[in-house]
Amino acid sequence: MANRLSRIRLSRRNFMVGSATAAVAMPLVGARAGSQPERPSETIRYTAPVKLTINHQPYELNLDLRTTLLDAIRDHTGLTGTKKGCDHGQCGACTVLINGTRVLSCLTFAVMADGREVTTIEGLAREDSSLHPMQQAFIDCDAFQCGYCTPGQIMSAVGCVHEGHAASEGEIREYMSGNLCRCAAYPNVVAAILQARDETRKA
Amino acid sequence: MSKEAPAPRENMGAPVPRFDARLKVTGGATYPADIPVADLAYGVLVTSLVARGSLAQLHTDKAATVPGFLGLFRHGDMAGTQPPKFGVAASSIGPLHGDRIFHDGQIIALVVAETYEAAMEAASLVTAEYDEERPSAGFDTQGTETTPGAGASPLFGEDVHAGDFDAAYAAAPVKIDEHYSTPTQHHNPIELFSTTAAWRGDQLTIYEPTQNVTGWKTELSRQLGIDPNRVRVISPYVGGAFGSKGPMTARTAIVAVAARRLGRPVRCVVTRMQAYGTQTYRAETRHRVRIGAERGGHITAFGHEGWEVTSRPDAYVVGGTIATGRLYAYGSVATHVDLVHADRNTPGYMRSPPETPYVYALENAMDEMAVALAMDPIEFRRVNEPTREPIGGKPFSSRSLLACYDEASKAFGWSDRESAVGSMRDGDWMIGMGCATAVYPTNIAPCAARVQLMADGHARVQCGCHEIGTGIRTVAGQMAAERLGVELTKVSVEMGDSALPPAPVSGGSNSTASVCSAVMKACDAIRNRLFLAVSGEGAPLAGAANSGMSLGNGQVIAADGRTVTLADAFATLQTVLIEEYAEFTPKGASPQALKKLYAGQPEFRGGERDDAVKYAFGAELVEVRIHTLTREIRIPRIVGAFAAGRIMNPRTARSQLMGGMIWGIGSALQEETEVDPRNARYVNKDLQDYLVPVNADIGDVQVILVPETDPQVNPAGVKGLGELGNVGTPAAVASAVYHATGIRVRDLPIRLDNLLT
Ligand code: FES
Ligand code: FES
Repeated sequence: MANRLSRIRLSRRNFMVGSATAAVAMPLVGARAGSQPERPSETIRYTAPVKLTINHQPYELNLDLRTTLLDAIRDHTGLTGTKKGCDHGQCGACTVLINGTRVLSCLTFAVMADGREVTTIEGLAREDSSLHPMQQAFIDCDAFQCGYCTPGQIMSAVGCVHEGHAASEGEIREYMSGNLCRCAAYPNVVAAILQARDETRKA
Repeated sequence: MSKEAPAPRENMGAPVPRFDARLKVTGGATYPADIPVADLAYGVLVTSLVARGSLAQLHTDKAATVPGFLGLFRHGDMAGTQPPKFGVAASSIGPLHGDRIFHDGQIIALVVAETYEAAMEAASLVTAEYDEERPSAGFDTQGTETTPGAGASPLFGEDVHAGDFDAAYAAAPVKIDEHYSTPTQHHNPIELFSTTAAWRGDQLTIYEPTQNVTGWKTELSRQLGIDPNRVRVISPYVGGAFGSKGPMTARTAIVAVAARRLGRPVRCVVTRMQAYGTQTYRAETRHRVRIGAERGGHITAFGHEGWEVTSRPDAYVVGGTIATGRLYAYGSVATHVDLVHADRNTPGYMRSPPETPYVYALENAMDEMAVALAMDPIEFRRVNEPTREPIGGKPFSSRSLLACYDEASKAFGWSDRESAVGSMRDGDWMIGMGCATAVYPTNIAPCAARVQLMADGHARVQCGCHEIGTGIRTVAGQMAAERLGVELTKVSVEMGDSALPPAPVSGGSNSTASVCSAVMKACDAIRNRLFLAVSGEGAPLAGAANSGMSLGNGQVIAADGRTVTLADAFATLQTVLIEEYAEFTPKGASPQALKKLYAGQPEFRGGERDDAVKYAFGAELVEVRIHTLTREIRIPRIVGAFAAGRIMNPRTARSQLMGGMIWGIGSALQEETEVDPRNARYVNKDLQDYLVPVNADIGDVQVILVPETDPQVNPAGVKGLGELGNVGTPAAVASAVYHATGIRVRDLPIRLDNLLT
């Protein structure tokens, strides 16, 4: 009696079985409690070395091949600015830039980003730590409340401008509709993008 | 100043940016699932696929073979702990305390593994066999049980009434008798629900997004049978709550038990789909509204009956008749609320829990009455403006509803509205304009705060309140800066930790009033200590009257104009830091109120509980456009004018009200969790199929903050507004849809198939 969630995970796993490469041993501790019998420690299946470049910083990780780019960023590099809102490509909270293009990191396996340049919200501010014009505009226009969707909104906004989809309010609304904001700061997000658009193009 | 940071009008503070704005745009704000914890194990829930019955067997062998599997917790594994107590806990159902299945999506196991991927794989391999029974999904299904709402909860004591409704209604020359309904809705904050439990010896730390650190600490320690001082709940930032993170769900204790048994910290992030059955939600409601009026428009009889779905074991009630029964100058009132118990998870607070459904029904009915009377709907409300509320005959502490209608009408251009149905058009688009009243009680509860002032002008505020996106951290800092006369940039505010002075649950829009009142009290104690010190004999302001003194620009200022710097004032006290701990209790609070605050059971005052009725009001005017061929419904613009006492920060206030109105648009046109009547299971359990507004759905949203001064409402003079914004919107949209098409939609949401003729 598998539910829908299970099926999704299973199909991911089955896919990975065929393409799994070297399994790299990770030190693990066996079960210590719970209602299951004690089990000997084992290795995680399907791991592989993955080289990620995030905000110009190289990372060499040993990852379960099923690890999404989102989980790799959050759980394995400690950069938790990128958020998980659905894990299914429905909310935009996990948006990052890969080679400058906006991408949903929850729908991207970490291995798919091997060798590519990933930019997260932590990498957007300039080297002197002054804010990117889009970040400043989000502050000026109060384009958030709880702030949870905000890293995704900002990365998406930068991508939207660079794609050339920020010509008018209407176009911004349309091309920012993959980023849900349950606090509903939408009009302020549009105002922020209009404010930062020209400077972002130059940046 | 800009649209997003409106210039303050009378009795409004400065529209300063949020304290945490920089953290939030740089990814530096840490939400509970972001907090790094060493040696973390990952937990994934397994949930029931049936809504009623018992768990016959759980097959876990395959799960245990997954490399990295650490443990599985199931029925029986919570032995030695107490099941949750409905109230601070979301439900009395302790899902692993027995084998009974009460609802779809109930937790049946927690699987823990070394990695998230392994935990997901293992959880997917757990299968269950059930002894299934036929469930009741909600209204109109067999097997439900109906019980009275009155008395079901301390928040809903009785069905309000006034005068002789039956006689007045029978005699009324103009009357309506209609039914309305609102659907199941889920909060869907963008932050996923999660629990991280970490034990150090017998000390437990919980990292979880919550609106109630103090209440959870107490309830969790009760469930686990340990001293509350051994539990700490940390929630520095909350990624949207809207009520969903107020009550503690059963998961928190389960994860804590798992972490204790495994001897290592466990983090369980709940999937979006699993949240539908493991968290709370807004249950569907039904209403019968009867209004009778004289031909001139005066209402003589108002009757409101409500039915609400709840779970089998818990009598969750919202009872919005408390507010609808007091909104206008009705000659007579009769109300009644019933609960319908079905095989569903227990509902819970969702943004304006009573008002959203009940005021929707009332305001839609008011619009129907205006049509029946051939009156302008705003004029109809003006005619029925009360001087006192009809139930207890109490005055309102302040009531600026008509001022709100005036300002909103002017900004909207209401006078251009042609009253005849279907008379306004723009090419292929039918245009409709509608209005509705927003109302929300001003709640307030006891609250503690600690404030420190340093000789160099730095101040620090500590309060166990919660930054859920409202801006409470910012406005608490503004209050301290103002009372202590220091720069805002020198004030820091700590919240979201049960180790801080206790604050009430961040619900019922009480936080600004409660927290600011407590911060004010602590600041005033600091002021008094300083004033006394500097006015003593031989002191810098010797002889100055304390009552005329103030703090400003880092100085103590006497009424006669003499000043002394803070540094010198502190020198007279021979100290560099003054700290005050204040315990605020609202007027009328019981002698146990403070004790209850520390026990996580805050006692609320305000609303209709005091000598005067304390409500915030607003008027919402909306334009809808409906395509003649496709019946697509668009909302190009909405104007809301709101009066809520002192506005601490027009920027954050505007954002909350704007967000509220957009919530209202979602309620009006999109949101509904579908329940399969055959098996009582939720159908559209994700953000793809549960529709919430996206950027392209929203047009021009104008928020007008109407000045209002209400010294009676509470010491801070503040009314809550986080929930006010979404109260009127759905009825305003229904009113506009009727105006455009002549079709009266009484069951939310209004979708294009309702408008096919
Ligand atoms: S978390 Fe990736 S789209 Fe929602
Ligand atoms: S700011 Fe809360 S979800 Fe967007």
